[in-house]
Amino acid sequence: MITLNLNVNGKDHRLEIEDHMRLLDVIRGPLGLTGTKEGCGEGECGACTVILDGNAVDSCLVLAAQCEGKKIVTIEGLETADGLDPVQQAFLDNGAVQCGYCIPGMVLSAKALLDKNVAPNDNEIKEAISGNLCRCTGYDKMVKAIKTASEVMQERGEQK
Amino acid sequence: MNTLKSVGQRIQRKDARAKLTGTALYPQDIEMENCVYGATVRSEIPHGYFTLDLTEAEKAPGVIRIFTAADVTGHNVHGVLFKDHEVLCARKVRRVGDPIAFVVAETQAQADDACALVKVSYEPLPAVFDPKEAMKEGAPQVHDGKDNLIYHYKCRRGDVQKGFADSAVVIEREYVSPFVDHVFLQPESGLAYMEEDKVVVVASTQYPHFDQIEVAEAIGWELEQVVILNPVVGGAFGGREDISMQIHLALATIALGRPVKTTMAREESFYAHSKRHPVYMRLKVGAAEDGKLLALEAELHGDTGAYASWAINVMRKAGVHITGPYEIENVYVDSYSVYTNNPYAGAMRGFGATQVPVAYEQHMDLLAEALGMSPYEIRMKNLFRKGSVTANGQVLTDSVPLETCLEILNQAMNGGSEAAGSGRDSSGTGTAAATGAGTSAVPERSVTDNA
Amino acid sequence: MLKRGRGIALSWYGTGYGNGFPDYSVATVELAENGEILLRVGATEVGQGSKTIMPQVCAEVLGVHSDQVHMICEDTREFLDSGTAAASRQTYNTGNAVLKASESFKKALLEEARLYLKLNSTAGLEMEDQKIWLPIFPSRKTTFAELAAHLKSEGRILAVTDSFTAQTIGMNPETGEGVPYWPYTFNAYGTEVEVDTETGRVQVLQAWCVQDVGRAINPDLVEGQIDGGFVMGLGYALYEDLGVKDGIIKNNKFAKYIIPTAMDIPTIHKYIVEDPENTAPYGAKGIGEPTMVPVAPAILNAIYDAIGVRIYELPATPDVVLKAIVADREAKASAKSASEAPSVAAEGAGKNG
Repeated sequence: MITLNLNVNGKDHRLEIEDHMRLLDVIRGPLGLTGTKEGCGEGECGACTVILDGNAVDSCLVLAAQCEGKKIVTIEGLETADGLDPVQQAFLDNGAVQCGYCIPGMVLSAKALLDKNVAPNDNEIKEAISGNLCRCTGYDKMVKAIKTASEVMQERGEQK
Repeated sequence: MNTLKSVGQRIQRKDARAKLTGTALYPQDIEMENCVYGATVRSEIPHGYFTLDLTEAEKAPGVIRIFTAADVTGHNVHGVLFKDHEVLCARKVRRVGDPIAFVVAETQAQADDACALVKVSYEPLPAVFDPKEAMKEGAPQVHDGKDNLIYHYKCRRGDVQKGFADSAVVIEREYVSPFVDHVFLQPESGLAYMEEDKVVVVASTQYPHFDQIEVAEAIGWELEQVVILNPVVGGAFGGREDISMQIHLALATIALGRPVKTTMAREESFYAHSKRHPVYMRLKVGAAEDGKLLALEAELHGDTGAYASWAINVMRKAGVHITGPYEIENVYVDSYSVYTNNPYAGAMRGFGATQVPVAYEQHMDLLAEALGMSPYEIRMKNLFRKGSVTANGQVLTDSVPLETCLEILNQAMNGGSEAAGSGRDSSGTGTAAATGAGTSAVPERSVTDNA
Repeated sequence: MLKRGRGIALSWYGTGYGNGFPDYSVATVELAENGEILLRVGATEVGQGSKTIMPQVCAEVLGVHSDQVHMICEDTREFLDSGTAAASRQTYNTGNAVLKASESFKKALLEEARLYLKLNSTAGLEMEDQKIWLPIFPSRKTTFAELAAHLKSEGRILAVTDSFTAQTIGMNPETGEGVPYWPYTFNAYGTEVEVDTETGRVQVLQAWCVQDVGRAINPDLVEGQIDGGFVMGLGYALYEDLGVKDGIIKNNKFAKYIIPTAMDIPTIHKYIVEDPENTAPYGAKGIGEPTMVPVAPAILNAIYDAIGVRIYELPATPDVVLKAIVADREAKASAKSASEAPSVAAEGAGKNG
């Protein structure tokens, strides 16, 4: 057992966990945040994507122990009192959701991209989500949604 | 037509917000108090007898009970058409991945570890992996006392020999479609628990009421005592029509009096659910000089693997659809569905009708080339229109806009330069002018009002 | 060398259980206490959007917004068996049951309003936005919520159930004569591909998907099915093979069973063709499976157009395409015949022996 201190969705946590636990296990287990999904356990599908210190990562490939003192954002951390995150809203408005299982990971990969590069081109968008497998939507409406979110975020940035 | 307020509108999906905020609960997201966890021991050989030695596994940390065929309280069977699956194999396995035992422990990790300690001794039997081989005399029998050939669809229309004799070109080819998987993103997961006198099973499915019937029969309870909950389904495509863990969970929770949960790893998921039927297709089509199809002969062999699932319906659909959407007077089709010791095949998006156009549509291009016609022309010559009769003798009376579809496609791809016909504006709204620029002059939404 | 080519494919797909099987769907429309509508129907939501479109059908009949129609399909105690969410049958079959149940419910609700408003007949009563009123004498009016409260005071709930059974005829086992499916959904798809003749790699650059839908109940969802069906078909044509050998699945992990990512999608031009099916709810037919059916052949025909080599066994992975290119080159070089070299098919058949 080890002690782990990490910040998840803006909140500090101090947990006693087993050494071998993956970040995914800590998120879904002790933290009870089931929005992050397991799709393959081998870092191929991206359903477990979270944002770790600003980078989109497959949480099934990250040992929880590696996250000491780090900042993690899961899908539950996106909506605020002001409403849905621009990426979430854009997915909603563009009809980019079907079965939903890939969605939390997909949204976070998109958010990680836009937080670093608010005006990506099509290729940059597709590459950013290329590690998130989706079997239902064919990705097209997701790419459109991310473009929409980009426009909204740029507008908001300009209004500041 | 324009007065509809709801139908035809881009209404926002009802379940999208929950999925986008992570609040939609798939079975793996549900935790229950006092819950125990199961893991399935599966066959590692494709065909053979087996015996189990549970002694070491039973002593493993956290193990509560290991369920085998003997623990099935009702009928040890399930299946969407034939009840040919065993809930837990009793003495014989017919495919790699056949469920042999269900290990229940205090934690998922303990159940998984104990699974590996279950000793299975196999006595392999000769196996068959090809449907044509499986149909031959003396082939290993996949199900005792049953012919490997489950189903034979026949279509006999007109006189194909005469049709071929009258044809300017006759082309025969073989095509193969392999084992393919649905790969829905959500791996199988489920829970079961008691609610007063009822057993409740939570698992993603395409047909909750059918699961209810299958569970009730396998556990030997009345239908009303079984409840199926289907909260959110993470994709299906035909892969969630067969029972996966529902019966194992029900048996375990009834026996142990505690909620039981199990979740499959992706590797197990690939083995647990059905596959697309591999189909071996032989297609022979004859056409006249002007491109009119005169005769079609097809032989389709579908490999349904070790269990039937939708074997009959799939190869029937394949047999019906192999003609393509074309008028052909002389048709001779045999479509077979056969057991082998491969992973079992069942429903998958298109269900037999997806495999066959790999044959019939490539064949149309082959014929077109042999006759010096374009792919567009030969299809225009033969496609179904309102009033067309299919090879089964069915009259297509309504909603047959194939010609419109092909015209729109042609315009969209070629700017109408290849259009055969009067250049009728099929879009109803946009222009259909042949610009020859190769860009799409057709609006993305085309409405044909046939009122 | 990079070579481009274009190909087309038509397809058809018969929806429903078919072949004379009693393809039966049933739905119940119920007035909730707050005046909104409960739609109890087993049209399982698997991601395709049935939980959105069935309320749209019901809402259309009752003149409410689909936000006021709440569909229940998760607990077997709460709705009747309406058959499987498969065979692309829900829109047509269960949509029809929802349509009929909604129409029957509307009649029943108007009758309740008649009684409540003490009128001779339902003639002239209008229903819109959860309100029912008599235009010729507007003070005779009520609301869904008011009626619900009234019913509750009498210890009653208004719930109307209706059903639809599809028409097919079991085929003669010797001749195949019969009506195996009804309705059929049709389409015409085209693709433009680029083949790298050095590596055998095929990329789909553009796609044109002309889809017969009867009626698009929700165009967003129809487009979603076309997009998703296309990409699944692309994977089927170019990447996917479980690699089953002697009963063992060699490719049972994502690292080996390759499905398309966002990097693989072409520009997809979508065309929705509405030629209503008269026996369908608002003319709508099922499209969940049809959208995948013509994709692989459209890609295979495009590959032939690009490199003059035909692939007879799926998937057309780079090694398969490269082998076919080499075999074709050798066959042409030895000047055997001008017709298609069948060597690929034979080789393919041999693989599974």
